[in-house]
Amino acid sequence: MAVITDALCPFCGCVCDDLTIVTENNKITEVKHACKLGAAKIMGHHRIKAPMMRKDKHSEFKEVSYEEAINEAARILSNSKRPLLYGWASAVCEVHKKGILLAEELGAIIDNTATVCHAPSTLAVHEKGLPSATLGQIKNRADVIVFWGSNPVHAHPRHMGRYSVFAKGLFSEKGRKGRKVIVLDVRKTETANMADEFVQLEQGSDYLVVSALRAILSGHADVVPESVGGVSKDALLKLVDTLKTGKFVGIFFGMGLTQSKSRYKNIDNAISLVTELNAFTKCVITPMRGHYNVTGFGNVCAWETGFATAVDFSRGAPYYNPGETAANDVLIRKETDAAMIIAGDAGAHFPADSVRHLARIPIIQIDPYWNATTEVANVVIPVAICGVEVEGTAYRMDGVSLRMRKMIEPTHPPDTEILEKITERVKVLRGE
Amino acid sequence: MQTVTLKPIKEIKISVEAENISPDKFAGKTEKDIQSLEAWMGNQKTTLGELFSVKAEGSGAAADTKIVMDGNFSRIKRIGEGMTAGLIIIKGNVDMHLGAKMSGGKISVTGNVDSWAGREMKGGELIIEGNAGYYLGAGYRGETCGMRGGKITVLGNALDFLGEHMCGGEIIVKGNAGILPGLSNNGGKIVIEGNTSRPGSEMSKGTIIINGLVDEMMPVFKAEGTEAVDGVTYRKYTGDVIVNGKGVLYLK
Amino acid sequence: MELLIKNGSVYDPSNGIKGDKTDISIKDGKIVEKVSSNASVIDAGGRLVMPGGVDAHSHIAGAKVNMGRIMRPEDTRAGIKPRTKITRPCTGYTVPNVYAMGYRYAQMGYTTVFEAAQAIMKARHTHEELEEIPIIDKGALTLFGSNWPTMDFVREKNMDKLAAYVAWGLLASRGFGIKCVNPGGGEMWGFGKNVTGLDDVVPNFDVTPKDIIVSLMKVNEMLGLPHSVHLHCNNLGKPGNYKTTLASMELAKQVKPSKDRQVLHVTHVTFNCWGGTNWGDFESKADEIANYLNNSENITTDMGQLIFGSATTMTADGPVQYANAKLLHAKWANGDVELEDASGVVPIFYAKQVSIHAIMWAMGLELALLTKDPYKVLLTTDHPNGGPFVNYPEVIALLMSNKKRQEEIKTLHEAVHKRTKIPGIERELDFNDIAIMTRAGHAKVLGLLDTKGHLGVGADADIAIYDIKPDQIDPSVEHAKIKSAFQSAAYTIKGGEVVVKDGQITATPMGRTYWVDASVPDEHTEIMMKDIRMKFKNYYSINLANYMVQDEYLTHPKVVRAGVIPAEVS
Repeated sequence: MAVITDALCPFCGCVCDDLTIVTENNKITEVKHACKLGAAKIMGHHRIKAPMMRKDKHSEFKEVSYEEAINEAARILSNSKRPLLYGWASAVCEVHKKGILLAEELGAIIDNTATVCHAPSTLAVHEKGLPSATLGQIKNRADVIVFWGSNPVHAHPRHMGRYSVFAKGLFSEKGRKGRKVIVLDVRKTETANMADEFVQLEQGSDYLVVSALRAILSGHADVVPESVGGVSKDALLKLVDTLKTGKFVGIFFGMGLTQSKSRYKNIDNAISLVTELNAFTKCVITPMRGHYNVTGFGNVCAWETGFATAVDFSRGAPYYNPGETAANDVLIRKETDAAMIIAGDAGAHFPADSVRHLARIPIIQIDPYWNATTEVANVVIPVAICGVEVEGTAYRMDGVSLRMRKMIEPTHPPDTEILEKITERVKVLRGE
Repeated sequence: MQTVTLKPIKEIKISVEAENISPDKFAGKTEKDIQSLEAWMGNQKTTLGELFSVKAEGSGAAADTKIVMDGNFSRIKRIGEGMTAGLIIIKGNVDMHLGAKMSGGKISVTGNVDSWAGREMKGGELIIEGNAGYYLGAGYRGETCGMRGGKITVLGNALDFLGEHMCGGEIIVKGNAGILPGLSNNGGKIVIEGNTSRPGSEMSKGTIIINGLVDEMMPVFKAEGTEAVDGVTYRKYTGDVIVNGKGVLYLK
Repeated sequence: MELLIKNGSVYDPSNGIKGDKTDISIKDGKIVEKVSSNASVIDAGGRLVMPGGVDAHSHIAGAKVNMGRIMRPEDTRAGIKPRTKITRPCTGYTVPNVYAMGYRYAQMGYTTVFEAAQAIMKARHTHEELEEIPIIDKGALTLFGSNWPTMDFVREKNMDKLAAYVAWGLLASRGFGIKCVNPGGGEMWGFGKNVTGLDDVVPNFDVTPKDIIVSLMKVNEMLGLPHSVHLHCNNLGKPGNYKTTLASMELAKQVKPSKDRQVLHVTHVTFNCWGGTNWGDFESKADEIANYLNNSENITTDMGQLIFGSATTMTADGPVQYANAKLLHAKWANGDVELEDASGVVPIFYAKQVSIHAIMWAMGLELALLTKDPYKVLLTTDHPNGGPFVNYPEVIALLMSNKKRQEEIKTLHEAVHKRTKIPGIERELDFNDIAIMTRAGHAKVLGLLDTKGHLGVGADADIAIYDIKPDQIDPSVEHAKIKSAFQSAAYTIKGGEVVVKDGQITATPMGRTYWVDASVPDEHTEIMMKDIRMKFKNYYSINLANYMVQDEYLTHPKVVRAGVIPAEVS
């Protein structure tokens, strides 16, 4: 029996680093301190046993060797005029680097799972920046916590205990008792149930409500009508007052804000609200990122290409324009003629039109797990699980970089090795 | 005077980047020269001659060059990018970035255009008889200025974010517009004949006139009574108050 | 591998060589007495040869830089170059991608560059980027000026614990030296406030910026670190701040250097030699700073020269960045780091007709031209705060040619005449001065003069050859030639390997990452660690076991040993 302490959780953007893992005979037998979601991921499920291929998407998979699968993957990709390399969020940064190199080699589009959750936040950052802080700064100082369109009880179970609502620190020794918790959402979520204040918005009205708050904050309450987005003016005035008089305000937003009407403009507007609040108090804003290393992909992609995601290498130099170069942009237009889906499940999370196109083109899947993408794949290459069987770097939702630990020995090769071999093979096929 | 006629010779599925389709690039070139101009289809380098039949007559400077495009160009991007003079007449639909960064000349399209038409346009004229996509006359991501000059007319509808970050110029949409037209308008003029929603957010300068219905009004404008523009009486608003804006919004 | 550079007109200030025709022999990456007849030969043909450029202050890697990229796609698209057979794609102007960082420095003949600020908690990120910057050697300075342990130990006046913390912090961050940014201000920015002077008391910690600066200087010398304390002064970005800068410099008198170098490096003086009381009476006091430098020992500075056009300001000085964002109505990123420091990123455009910018342009030049000893003023742009590093050749040309300066002044806001001394300064620097300000001086300030910034036997074979014949050019008149030659080295040799020829990248070896391993008595570490463990238990949001940068993030490390306990020199 072996015990690994201070282990990191490869599930959500909280990347909790206080887990204790008990293993026996290279099997994980116990996961301590993790939430249910994290523990379930670490304990494992539905592994793909061996590489598989099939002639067409209606036939059965046949097990093949790694070499065969890698050669076929390289053949498909190097024949493609508009290849897409998508996923990445459940892999460590070392994998992202290899992926970007392959994208360069192929003249591919590389995009990550943020495209269906927080990529709109990045578009907002282009417009307004991002006044933020590490989670510990919030834990030590915040006396007002706002969850806007995010529901940590459900999606980030340990967030409130470790970093926000309940966390105690130097200037917040009372924890929950010293904090006001506000939830803005279209429905009364589990998080709203435990908040001090719940502000219910009409569906799709976030943008209007943020603007009303900004108008009040800038001294123009007179132009704000009696009700905005289903919220009374009195409630808006009170909310502005609460935000202004906090000593340190931490705002966390989720897909309720990024994926509703006006999309990234909601975040854009909210970032301005935060900036303007800093004239009165300290205020920071943090996206509640989903996959544990979706933030890592954005960082690696930015330092390697200059752009955070959705990079099109088709002309040899990086080009970036979400709306044109993101995965779903090219899938819905049926431009993509081959795709590699790695460490992310496009089959489960993409819009129906995109999935329909994925079902028509050759797909290579690289993943430890059998999932919806497997159902549309032609070549399936199983790999070791990053953060469980493979160590490497991940970036927490606040951009703190951490080294994921290896808990047990892998039974499959790591993503990096597969990507290196595909890249080598592509070079051979192209006569380089 | 030079007239160049392009017609598609095959069905194009993967969009083509063809910034070389421009009077500036065609001026003074022979049919063969034009055929060999570079274009990119996905990650494949190709030529205009591979994709289109090219007929060139006469010769002239950019200002005297007319490009006639006849057929479906709905997967051809960046037509007329950066053009300074001349004329492009498109009988059909086109893809994204039509006339991006153009500073002179004229482009007219009988069909629909995809997003970012007139992106960062500085001058010249763009006439779209069909519908326009998103970000008509807007900027590139992160830039503070979109369209700075020139005129865009859309006879059909336009989608969201038209005229975002406009610093000058004029956009007229005869049909409806999507949400947030004139967002962060910093000096442009926008006229929407049809309906729209959430106009003029964060505008600091410029004018937006809406003759149709406004579905949702931003709670950031000061009502200033009524005012007549070209003989029509409008309700006048100024804002966006958050940014101390001097922008003017006229609603019917 | 042997290489011989013949017929160079060599400028090697620390070896007293000023344009002599000297041959340079290279073997196994080092400069040696002589090489065999098998050595390959580069005939410099009388052209200018200098040690490879060294940059002691630039923002090339880490959380701030990457935030600059993420928030500025409009900048990224401004410098795009496709991949080639040997180079990865390049992007960006003020915030280039990692590849462009390495290639563009090398193309200018630079071979060693230090990132000027990393918080310990985000150091892993800095090293991830440093690991991917090709060609150049690099390192990073670690922030200590607002860290809770620093302030606790300063308050306790326990220099042993503070020294142990600095040594441990350098190990944890694999850092090269002590960076101190707006000391105390980083903590106060945690609640949206700031210190206003050296004697303000930081709430809850009961220390002043003065206490912090002096204590850090003391432990820096106790530890015998190669570099000195590297200070970004309080009140940066506020008119009248030159007084704070002078008062900070005065503190250096309290500490004796442990080595042949300064005890205090005051960085990017362009941003803290400001006179006046507001934007209306804003004026340059660079002359006062230069005057102070001329009459003091043990203090060095760098210019932080302003370059007209686009820049991206990025600093651990969180409050100044919020002020900038408000003033400029610009997008703003803030990056507070728990228990350690703050940071911010704001884009800016420096315009010739804006009076403040024209005055700031003059400040860096005044400082460099009015300070007699070029070892006291290093050439930097505080990349990318004053402007991108690719503009160093422009700065070199300005320093070497009064004619160029006068031509430029004609295009600037008239305030440059009334609020600065630059129009009347006629001094023109020579190649020796430039070699000091771009290599020898940097190496000396960093404490790396044993192997960097010179061409004597035993030095790293990092060499630049420029397409200028010093005896056949009048830089004062032919300043355009000077600029273009420094933009595009005829050769850059890194560790004995030709990495640039005729301005083009020819090889992309990986450089090394310098960090300092400073030893302290175990009992000091033990007592210090009690406090640190308490801080992790109660305040940090990660566990101590996951804090320190692992070996995996330095695949080409270069350890420099220092410490209270004398250790063998590596």
